[in-house]
Amino acid sequence: MSLDTCLVNGNKDLIIFMEERFDFDKVQEFRDAYLSAPDEVNTITVDLSNTEYMDSSALGMLLNMQKTMVDKISTFKIINCRPQVAKILKISRFDKKFEMN
Amino acid sequence: MRILIVDDESLNRFMLLHMLEEAGYPDCFEAETGREALQLAKKIRPDLVLLDVVMPDMDGYEVAPLLKKMAGDIYLPVIFITAMDDQAALTRCLEVGGDDFATKPFDRNILTAKIRAHARTRLLSIRTNKQNRELNYFRKGVEREHAIVEHIFANALTLNPGTKRFFDYRLAPASTFNGDVFLSEPSPSGGLYFLMGDFTGHGLASAVGALPVARAFQAMSRKGLSVSEISQTLNEILLSLLPEDMFFAAVVVEISVSGQQFSVWNGGMPDLAVVTPEGRISKRFISLHMALGILEVDDFEENIEYFNARLGDRLIGYSDGVIELTNAEEQMLGDEAILSWLTSDPAITVEEISHRTEKFRGKAEQLDDITLISYTCQDLSELKSQIEITQLPFTITVELKVEQLIKFTPIYDIVVMVCSQLGMQRVRSDLSTVISELFMNSLDHGILKLDSNIKKSTEGFFEYFKIRNQRLQKLKQGEITISIGYEPQATLLSIKLSDSGDGFDYQRVQSNQESDTYGRGISLIKTLCQSVQYFDEGRSVLAKIKV
Repeated sequence: MSLDTCLVNGNKDLIIFMEERFDFDKVQEFRDAYLSAPDEVNTITVDLSNTEYMDSSALGMLLNMQKTMVDKISTFKIINCRPQVAKILKISRFDKKFEMN
Repeated sequence: MRILIVDDESLNRFMLLHMLEEAGYPDCFEAETGREALQLAKKIRPDLVLLDVVMPDMDGYEVAPLLKKMAGDIYLPVIFITAMDDQAALTRCLEVGGDDFATKPFDRNILTAKIRAHARTRLLSIRTNKQNRELNYFRKGVEREHAIVEHIFANALTLNPGTKRFFDYRLAPASTFNGDVFLSEPSPSGGLYFLMGDFTGHGLASAVGALPVARAFQAMSRKGLSVSEISQTLNEILLSLLPEDMFFAAVVVEISVSGQQFSVWNGGMPDLAVVTPEGRISKRFISLHMALGILEVDDFEENIEYFNARLGDRLIGYSDGVIELTNAEEQMLGDEAILSWLTSDPAITVEEISHRTEKFRGKAEQLDDITLISYTCQDLSELKSQIEITQLPFTITVELKVEQLIKFTPIYDIVVMVCSQLGMQRVRSDLSTVISELFMNSLDHGILKLDSNIKKSTEGFFEYFKIRNQRLQKLKQGEITISIGYEPQATLLSIKLSDSGDGFDYQRVQSNQESDTYGRGISLIKTLCQSVQYFDEGRSVLAKIKV
């Protein structure tokens, strides 16, 4: 199983759609998803609309993505968080490292 | 044709009887006095009465109205027979309720022609009366059925009393039954859901679909499902129930406990608008989807729009019955009219809006159901206290041996078990995170003895998970026990984990820097839990979550 992704905005924006659970089980799938980004991509957006919970390894995975891709990608976004997930991201101060809506 | 002859003179009666027999009316009865006539009429139910005016006890003028009264709704022709020929006497015959008169001496042809004419009218009256009775019977049957259906609708489509007061709304069906639906339920995680929709058409036919929708919506709200799951399921239900030419335009909305975060799915409804207190439209949730009950399960799009409003902002929604409202000059109201009322008068009440729409409609007929709702952003945390929580103390214990640890992660299953208890849904997300953190700590560090420092570099991060997998597959011994207990008095969930590992120095755990990709777990659960304690040299941990 791999995560759903799509390219928008003239292939410049890669959107990764996370599933219900965003935890250590997704390490490989998540990595595959962002490494699949074609060269012209400059924005990675993680859509969490279906995510009901995340744990600290998910936080680690997000940061790791940022560290890995920082040379290629100028903007990292997290969108459509449900309130419970937004709380975790806020506690961990992720609102400072990612553009969040 | 049964005729009653009333005359005090036997000769007159005999002559009439004879004449009628010859004319083909053999079924005749005689009465000598007014009283006898009334008694006999009661018994024999005549189709026509020939009534003498001058009689000794009661005269014809007295008897006629009583006979008429006796006949009820069915026309009973009363023909006066009289020797008088002055205008006043004849006029009076008709005024007291008589239908005609025949003057003595009788002309047989004229009298029988009159009898035939009145008999026709009586037949017509009998037929109409029968049809009226049938109609009445049918109408009463329909009324009874409607009353039953109305009762069912009233019970099924009630707004949850807890969330009702957060809305200013008006529902105005075009007929008794409403094809528009407005429902709201509290969310188990705090906050609320609402559903506003419009079935094709109006009246009973379009209202029946509301029943399964309401039940499903209420059940899903209670489970705290996401807006996309709710819309998806409603679509599936309606797809299987509705005829092909019928569907359900709807918006499904979740409002967070803060009262200002909206998740919206809009399929086929007019725009939902967010209006600021200054009268600015800060957001319009346009319809991004087809109405419910059209698309096959695979084609259905469940994506949601999100928006953060500010306290005091209003979320306004209405059905197309409002904007398609047409006045006598055949002009439509249109949604720009409503939005302009809102921008020029941001505090306008729903009552005032509907007052203005009524004024616009004037004398034209209301053709479609009308729904208008307004929600003003406010803190919804008091809704949380209204959620029912189980009174039952319970403990769920799971002992995980090597074969389970290798094969799968038990977190999801445990969370489902706990959340199947009444009211636990509200902590589902926090509980998932906490169990996941504690379990990973026990497994990774207690059982598999992994060192978090491996995660320091980006490549190390993946290396860590690689080593973890290798060690897990080769695992020969180890055990993790997870025990979750609930104390109803304190409304506390305690999560206890013990592992068979070597423990760790929990006093040395320190918070890492923000950029580190690891080491956030413990500080994260400390924020989510009321308390977190380690025992037995770090082999056991007890975390408590306030429900």
